[in-house]
Amino acid sequence: MSVLVAVVAVVVAIATYLTWLALRLDRLAARVADARGGLVSQLVTRADAAAELAERCALPGLAASAARARAAHPPLLAGSPLDGEVELAENALSRSLRAAAVADAGQRCPADLHAVDSAAARVALARQFHNDAVRDLRSLAGRRLVRALHLAGRRPAPGYFEIDDALSLRDEPSPLVAGVSLAVETAPRPDAGDPVDEGGRPGLAR
Amino acid sequence: MRIGLACPYTWDVPGGVQVHVRDLAETLIAAGHEVSVITPVDDERNLPPYAVDAGRALPVRYNGSVARLLMGPVSAARVRRWLREHDFHVLHVHEPAAPSVSLLACVLADGPIVATFHTANPRSRVLTAAHGALQPAFEKLRARIAVSEAARRTLVEHLGADAILIPNGVALDSFADAEPLPDYADGPPTVVFLGRIDEPRKGLDVLLAAMPPLLATVADARLLVAGPGGVAGLRARLDPLLRSRVDLIGLVSDADKPRVFASGQVYCAPNTGQESFGIVLLEAMAAGTPVVASDIDAFRRVLDDGRAGRLFEVGDPARLAAALAEVLTDPVGAADLVRRGHAAARAYDWRTIAERIVGVYQMVSGDRPVSVAPG
Repeated sequence: MSVLVAVVAVVVAIATYLTWLALRLDRLAARVADARGGLVSQLVTRADAAAELAERCALPGLAASAARARAAHPPLLAGSPLDGEVELAENALSRSLRAAAVADAGQRCPADLHAVDSAAARVALARQFHNDAVRDLRSLAGRRLVRALHLAGRRPAPGYFEIDDALSLRDEPSPLVAGVSLAVETAPRPDAGDPVDEGGRPGLAR
Repeated sequence: MRIGLACPYTWDVPGGVQVHVRDLAETLIAAGHEVSVITPVDDERNLPPYAVDAGRALPVRYNGSVARLLMGPVSAARVRRWLREHDFHVLHVHEPAAPSVSLLACVLADGPIVATFHTANPRSRVLTAAHGALQPAFEKLRARIAVSEAARRTLVEHLGADAILIPNGVALDSFADAEPLPDYADGPPTVVFLGRIDEPRKGLDVLLAAMPPLLATVADARLLVAGPGGVAGLRARLDPLLRSRVDLIGLVSDADKPRVFASGQVYCAPNTGQESFGIVLLEAMAAGTPVVASDIDAFRRVLDDGRAGRLFEVGDPARLAAALAEVLTDPVGAADLVRRGHAAARAYDWRTIAERIVGVYQMVSGDRPVSVAPG
């Protein structure tokens, strides 16, 4: 009898552990999927901003790389993988954005250049979030037990997205994540006009 | 956005993390977000309307400070209910490496979670040992924020994960234009110290040792010491010569803190190490008081390599006395420090910082809100 109890206890413990592992894998897969979605939408925003800047300031080189990157976006939004082709196109766009002609365009179209810089900073962050998620998933999915029992299912492990997203150095500080409008739909900020905001920073609202 | 913040330390005990969570919550609410904070608290009446009680916490020594930690079935039930009732778009946990309500929230929630790491601790055996055990909770974190370069390095070294650097903010408005405390409006030149008086790494002993040489140059200088701790014990062991020159006023309320800075001609931070960020320096700069601080990494960064405040060698009373005397006797130099201090503090204004944090929230929140994890 006591042997039976012990066997049942061990079986329950093993089953619980395996279920828990499967749950973690599912959760990581959801995190990777969200991170991928976020990364793609930032890539789209960056390419759109670059195309806008290229058009306003007549920058043919930038227009070409923006067009190339944008051509790959509809399939990405539909779920196609972030593969080497995409990396090449996005790399070309990063390089074009660092060209001297683009920095000079800052004189003529400062707002457009600022939009591109903000978008580029967000691409770098989104890529970090994506690759962190991929690394966590791969490290769990790579465990011997998980592989032996096919707990991660038959889907291939997602790949890292490696592009050169170094930001161009401008005289003013990098916009980082700031510079995104976080506006609430209703009413202006209660404290609008405060001296702290003389710099014309965008509102801190939803 | 609907944002849930988890604060690991007891709300009504003074501490940098609590202040950070409070100011972030209030800045976000002012900007129109829906925010709820869950935190341990000693007396529930001290909670603001946006905060929820996670229960009483057990004091534990952690990283040289007394942290108030909590984990247990009662707290777990409260955290679950909090998550269920609010349906957050993002859950933002603070200092989740300590066994606290933050880690609990991280374990119990599923969905977009962001974590902020405050501690800088180059050789944390606790963190290294806990690495494996923390992994299941930490693999839920979609973004990690570190408040300082030192905190980021601690994270990289112990958990092998990088973080975005977003510093602490300071609520500038409440520190500008404060009235001095009564008796300090136009008395003799005053040095201000603010911090726990019985915690050696806050460095009050260094400052007390610097007082005699300072009095040799500035004969009428006095020292205002504000902060919790054994006031009577300290008064008893004070050098009798200093007793009339040192005012011990004990713990001051948050509302009086700007007035404490406004009461001095110089603010001194003689800390002897292990600070991850000099928030109190920023408060002094925002209040328009020149700063003299120990030359430790965090302070050097906040003071813009000594341009926005004077730095002195850590633990050296003679150099400290010289730096204080210089600020007290050179009004032009002091005014210059105040001007540059103001400009440096502005980059850390809570609105600037909160904007960057909301940017992170937006990037990690997917289609699904935060839910209670199964199992």
